[in-house]
Amino acid sequence: MTNNPEYFKAERDQEWRVALRSQIKNKERTSRERVKMPEQDPNIRNKNSLEVNLGLTEEQAVSEAQRCIDCPNPTCITGCPVGINIPKFIKYIEARDFLSAAKTLKETNSLPAVCGRVCPQEVQCEAQCFYTQKLKKPAVAIGHLERFAADFERNSGKISIPEIAERNNIKVAVIGSGPGGLAAAGDLVKMGYSVTVFEALHEIGGVLKYGIPEFRLPNDIVDVEINNLRKMGVEFITNFVVGKTSSFEDLKAKGYVAFFTASGAGLPRFMNIPGENYVGIFSSNEYLTRVNLMGAAKADYDTPVLFGKNVAVIGGGNTAMDSVRTAKRLGAERAMIVYRRSLDEMPARIEEIHHAQEEGIEFMNLNSPVEYFADESGRVNRMRLQKMELGEPDSSGRRRPVPLTSSEYDVDVDMVVVSVGVSPNPLIPSAVDGLNITKWGTIHVNPDNMQSNISDLFAGGDIVRGGATVILAMGDGRNAAAGIHAYIQQTLVN
Amino acid sequence: MIDLSTKYIGLHLKNPIIAASSGLTANIENIKKLESNGVAAIVLKSIFEEEILQQEKDLKNEVQKDSLIYSELSETLDYIDIHIKEDTLNVYLELIRKAKKETLIPIIASINCVTNYEWTDFAKKIESAGADALELNIFLNPVDTSDKDFEKTYIEITKNVTKKVSIPVSVKISQYHTKPAHVIQKLSETGATGIVLFNRFYTPDINLEKLELTQANHFSNENEYLNVLRWIALMSKKINCDLAASTGIHSAETIIKQILAGASAVQIASVLYSKGIDYVSVLLKELENWMEKHNYNYLNQIKGKLSQEKIQDPAAFERMQFMRYFSGIE
Ligand SMILES: Cc1cc2nc3c(=O)[nH]c(=O)nc-3n(C[C@H](O)[C@H](O)[C@H](O)COP(=O)(O)OP(=O)(O)OC[C@H]3O[C@@H](n4cnc5c(N)ncnc54)[C@H](O)[C@@H]3O)c2cc1C
Ligand SMILES: Cc1cc2nc3c(=O)[nH]c(=O)nc-3n(C[C@H](O)[C@H](O)[C@H](O)COP(=O)(O)O)c2cc1C
Repeated sequence: MTNNPEYFKAERDQEWRVALRSQIKNKERTSRERVKMPEQDPNIRNKNSLEVNLGLTEEQAVSEAQRCIDCPNPTCITGCPVGINIPKFIKYIEARDFLSAAKTLKETNSLPAVCGRVCPQEVQCEAQCFYTQKLKKPAVAIGHLERFAADFERNSGKISIPEIAERNNIKVAVIGSGPGGLAAAGDLVKMGYSVTVFEALHEIGGVLKYGIPEFRLPNDIVDVEINNLRKMGVEFITNFVVGKTSSFEDLKAKGYVAFFTASGAGLPRFMNIPGENYVGIFSSNEYLTRVNLMGAAKADYDTPVLFGKNVAVIGGGNTAMDSVRTAKRLGAERAMIVYRRSLDEMPARIEEIHHAQEEGIEFMNLNSPVEYFADESGRVNRMRLQKMELGEPDSSGRRRPVPLTSSEYDVDVDMVVVSVGVSPNPLIPSAVDGLNITKWGTIHVNPDNMQSNISDLFAGGDIVRGGATVILAMGDGRNAAAGIHAYIQQTLVN
Repeated sequence: MIDLSTKYIGLHLKNPIIAASSGLTANIENIKKLESNGVAAIVLKSIFEEEILQQEKDLKNEVQKDSLIYSELSETLDYIDIHIKEDTLNVYLELIRKAKKETLIPIIASINCVTNYEWTDFAKKIESAGADALELNIFLNPVDTSDKDFEKTYIEITKNVTKKVSIPVSVKISQYHTKPAHVIQKLSETGATGIVLFNRFYTPDINLEKLELTQANHFSNENEYLNVLRWIALMSKKINCDLAASTGIHSAETIIKQILAGASAVQIASVLYSKGIDYVSVLLKELENWMEKHNYNYLNQIKGKLSQEKIQDPAAFERMQFMRYFSGIE
């Protein structure tokens, strides 16, 4: 990744960029309104699984790109975990050279079509944009533009397959096929390694496939990326649980000399309250996986257990929003968010909260479940909620929810999705003797190269960060690929 | 052959010495060591509501230091208090299971609670993990200046917990009550099978050189048993549940005194720290020696022998004693 200021300056000083800047006055650029992403109508989209956001038109994209004033000191880049050369790709859009824009994105981001859709730009690049920082106006829609360029390239059929170094027949194993694993595999195969990705599930893509729903990230977009990796020579083996199907030792015996673990944080957490074991109460992980991967949402699929009339989702994060909006799409009459703090404290992205509200999701803020009840067959039919108020701020500065005494009341539900967080799956950490694990159960690595204390084992993504974002997982994957390369060069080749 | 056995909250104890809840009863190695030195039962280190809050703070600080751990937008961190609690409780349940598996003596779990509703569900889990009894270490801070009715909270917590579990429940109380006799009486009527008199609190002191507040000794001294003795003697025959004496019990003589006053058992902590866990065997030996010397074969022969059972009105009795005590002094 090239992200030093001189490089960005040299790029900015190129003739075409200088010329482009002079075409429109800054005053004119900054007086424009931020583009609005075209969306499906809320009352239609809450009954289908098509993408909510429809994508910018060429004209919209060019006009939005013109808002960017191509700052001499592009602070937006500092907000991007993988240091995308943001002004450069945006200026290519302004110049209508969309394929070059996509190529610029791919210099540092292997999955721009995905990131353009799911990155929390409002706390990353867009939070550091000149508009946000200095003008106190809505930021340039960097995320929308990223998506536009990536989609344009894909639809043009001219996706460039990167050059691959000569194969060196050195075998490297990647564990997990989420964004972390895919990014590492992409870089390693480019360097000439023989890369095998082992995936426990039958589908490749990790959370991109089984977590984030179709209406936010269509599966075919992920598939295009996976197919590219296949074309580049990455081998995928599914239904293969490292640590169970085979141990690390078995894999070493088969010739793998280094490992990148991106096994995610897929172990659901619960609240540990009475009745949480009743039928009809799921973790968001199980619920979304079943709906997304196992075709459970299709009409001919016989799992009535996944359809609820009155569905409560416990939690206020993105997973909670994805779950509740999925429940609505599967026909829930009442789809409720039950969250113990107020709307302002919700960790979910504002866009997701807003979309959910438009789609008719009920928000029961300052409420927390204390117990569930079931009918004779053991299926949940009622939950007891307790009202909360916000007390003193805790150490992180957020106000702590405090129960109001004698405020309990009951609400009818026939399905509950618990979305209160996850922890790292302990299988891999416990499969390796002597591996350094943090208090969180995450794998401890050197942040420079993602190497663990076991020298041939590298790790990244949620298994290291305890639940992060697509872009961070990807950045880790790339970082680890470079680390693995250096490690192999040092220990094996020399 | 001297028989030191006694019954306490329905548990058969081979002698009256219980290891009180302390740092020494927090891990399986010490628990086994206590057993092999002869203690009759163990009260595990309490699980503290406050401690869970502290851990939450520590963990959050750690997150802020670790650049790799991601905290923004994280649902896991959003509910971290609940997760920490769950993890802490699971560790505690595991300790109960282990202690039950690796020892033969009764294991009494201990919850330090300040609120009413949070712990009743956990009490059930403690029961299913195999604990023989549960001690509620209800900690209502005596320096609280609000008009909150502490006695009522004690009773409510006890009532809720005893309703939920079928193992015996004892309550460990502090000596700070406006009317200890009333509280003890009420608790015994509420369903507590035993009451532990008393817990001992952190005591501040002043360092005269540095002119700053310090923490006085963590450990009791051997004269601190007197107030306990008084209340055991006053109450043991007036209530229909067992009493255990705690605080300041450092010698076999003090144990005998508490039993004579009517305690069913004693709980010791400080002396285990100052003299070591092996000191239990010395205490047991000395107990036997005293019994032998005084021609008793069974502990039950002396239990409650010197309780003030005839006293109908303890307040009047105390006033009388006070008058007599000081009347000769000029
Ligand atoms: C519902 C949901 C919505 C989200 N929305 C967003 C969003 O909008 N924006 C955003 O940036 N982030 C979002 N995230 C977070 C983001 O998806 C994750 O941070 C990211 O996917 C982590 O990538 P990863 O490669 O570390 O792991 P994952 O994507 O979790 O992939 C790990 C893979 O490893 C496999 N695996 C595990 N153990 C083994 C084993 N022993 N052997 C073989 N394979 C194994 C798993 O099956 C899985 O496929 C969301 C997460 C969820 C759950
Ligand atoms: C280091 C230490 C830790 C203690 N921890 C607890 C506890 O967790 N729960 C509790 O109910 N009492 C606790 N106590 C109090 C003891 O159980 C006991 O009631 C008190 O120390 C008085 O008895 P002693 O004079 O024999 O020490 C602790 C005491 C000490 C010294």
